[in-house]
Amino acid sequence: MTKLSKAFKLGVIACALAASAAASTASYAADVTIGALFPLSGPNASYGDIFGSGANLAAEHINADNLLGGKLSIQYEDSQALPQQGVIGMNKLVNVQKVPYVLSAFTGVSKAISTIATRTRTVAVNGGGVGPDLAELGQYFWNIIPLANYEVRAIIPYLVNERKMKNFVLVYVDDPLGQAIRKELEGALPPAGGKLVEALSVPATAQQFGGIAARVRAANPDVIYVASYGSQQSQIVKQFRDNGIKQPFASYTAFSIPEINAQPEAAGSMYTSQNIDWNSQDPVTKRFVDDYKKKYNKMPTAYIANYYNAVRMFGLLAQQLIKKGQPVTGENLLKQRVETKTFDLVGGKVSFAENGTVTMPMQINEIDGKGGKVLSTSAK
Amino acid sequence: MLAYLLNLATLMCINAVLAITLNFIMGYAGIFSIAHAIFFGVGAYSAAWVAMNASANIFLVIPVAMVVAGALSLVLALPALRVRGEYFVAASLGLQVLGVTVFSEWKSVTGGLGGMIGIPPAEIFGHAVADPAQFLLLALCCLVPVLLATGVLLRSSFGRNLKAIRDSETAAYAFGKNVALIKTMSVVISAMLAAVAGALYAFYMGFINVESFMLDTSVLLMAMVIIGGTGTLLGPIVGTVLLMLLPGVFSYMSFLPQTEIGSIQQIAYGLAMVLLMIFRPGGIVGSGKPRAAKEKAA
Repeated sequence: MTKLSKAFKLGVIACALAASAAASTASYAADVTIGALFPLSGPNASYGDIFGSGANLAAEHINADNLLGGKLSIQYEDSQALPQQGVIGMNKLVNVQKVPYVLSAFTGVSKAISTIATRTRTVAVNGGGVGPDLAELGQYFWNIIPLANYEVRAIIPYLVNERKMKNFVLVYVDDPLGQAIRKELEGALPPAGGKLVEALSVPATAQQFGGIAARVRAANPDVIYVASYGSQQSQIVKQFRDNGIKQPFASYTAFSIPEINAQPEAAGSMYTSQNIDWNSQDPVTKRFVDDYKKKYNKMPTAYIANYYNAVRMFGLLAQQLIKKGQPVTGENLLKQRVETKTFDLVGGKVSFAENGTVTMPMQINEIDGKGGKVLSTSAK
Repeated sequence: MLAYLLNLATLMCINAVLAITLNFIMGYAGIFSIAHAIFFGVGAYSAAWVAMNASANIFLVIPVAMVVAGALSLVLALPALRVRGEYFVAASLGLQVLGVTVFSEWKSVTGGLGGMIGIPPAEIFGHAVADPAQFLLLALCCLVPVLLATGVLLRSSFGRNLKAIRDSETAAYAFGKNVALIKTMSVVISAMLAAVAGALYAFYMGFINVESFMLDTSVLLMAMVIIGGTGTLLGPIVGTVLLMLLPGVFSYMSFLPQTEIGSIQQIAYGLAMVLLMIFRPGGIVGSGKPRAAKEKAA
């Protein structure tokens, strides 16, 4: 009898556990996880933190709005900004976590994972790299950041016509990004009335620019366009000023990082970024800026907005799929993106070109040591 | 899950080939090279170039990669004949820097910093090895012969000569050994076998750029050998498996903050290396006592 009662009790407990497990599964049935492949260790780890702050805020907003009917979470994997680690992380996200959407950063990692993205029909979204070769990584690889060639096209008319800067010197990293910027400047400057008087390439790892500075001084340009990234661009700016170069710098989104904005030698530099009016009353932008300032006690940057937008765009696409009763898969997300003409993101309404790269209005910013100001906005 | 495990296992095989070949010169010949990633890179770029411009047949690609890496390894063998110990480490560091610069700047062949994308899958008798399980089999088919070849070589008189040079170059010379030839051959063999890993890597990733062949990779390979056990046949494999599994294991520890896992992992690596060197300097598979202590005891 005792044995029977014990067995009965065990049975009841097992049933209760099974029921509670089933209930908990049901209550989280609509939970969605997306992936993020950012450098979380190594020399580029600070970028992972910057990008992640935007992505996390977007997930918080999506969850607060109950956009998906369940909880959205982001599974992070450390790419160390290296292709091999990126592929390992991507494989885990796609095959173990089964995520339909992965945030990517850094050109090497993005290129390395693009094959897996295409093969597994998983959407990978870049919000950091701007090399034009990123537009050619297949239909499952999207860029939510305008690529460098768009940025050059936006700044040339402003510098030549409004600032009367005719003679340009380009200092560029000799990689696909730098080469694309050089090609764009060579092609677009003469018709606009400007001239590329000198183009000086630097290795990606170089940190000494005294020799280059001497050549820039000899060329005596009206403006120096810097096509570099990471800590190198701060060194270029500092060492050029130390070498007595007074001309202003021009650049692309890479200048939007806090280190450059806080650098006294960079004051007066102009750079392009996607058009985001941080004081805009547009509800999406205002909420992003206000909440970011509240949470981190500082102004967001374009990179942060990009990864916020990448996650927000996933939320909008997934919401539409859920409404239609379709599963949130990479394939359906792609179809839905093609179907959806515009998205309400930070900065306003944006659309995508056929190659999966965002097209949006650009703006020209000036570094003034006080958080920056917008000089001009241009059409997309 | 299976695909993830296959992916990890494939990369483990590739890295194990590299660790075994580095151990061949480091653990047995006493040549401490921190330029091993360069031969890995030479193999990868040669394989990618041949696959994209001629044929992706592995019976053509792998031999070409091996020959190119073997020929270039003479550049490393030259300083190895002239200097030893820390002087050779400095010389190999120079070669590593030089190699990375060539990979970055020789755009017409390596694609520069942008790298080479669109490398076709490896072909065996016209069959494209694109399936992950098939590729793992291919990687194993390369790992096992490399392991066997090094094992056989080390058990031969050539292996004994290597150990003699490692323990005392002067004594080996006094016994009439052709030190220069033995050292050169060991470097060439190591580089040629490392190129096999390079070719596999290029085929598997479908994309290569210089970031995979930097100093960090050479240091990681050295860590794999040291942790596993220098001068042992299985040590490099154990070191490779451990160092490649750890990141995955850490990422499954749900109680750790996701964005801090990378930093925690680096701290764990550092601590493990320090503790291992204090308590088990011969590595996991190797002897618990340092070689000097053993020699003294003998």
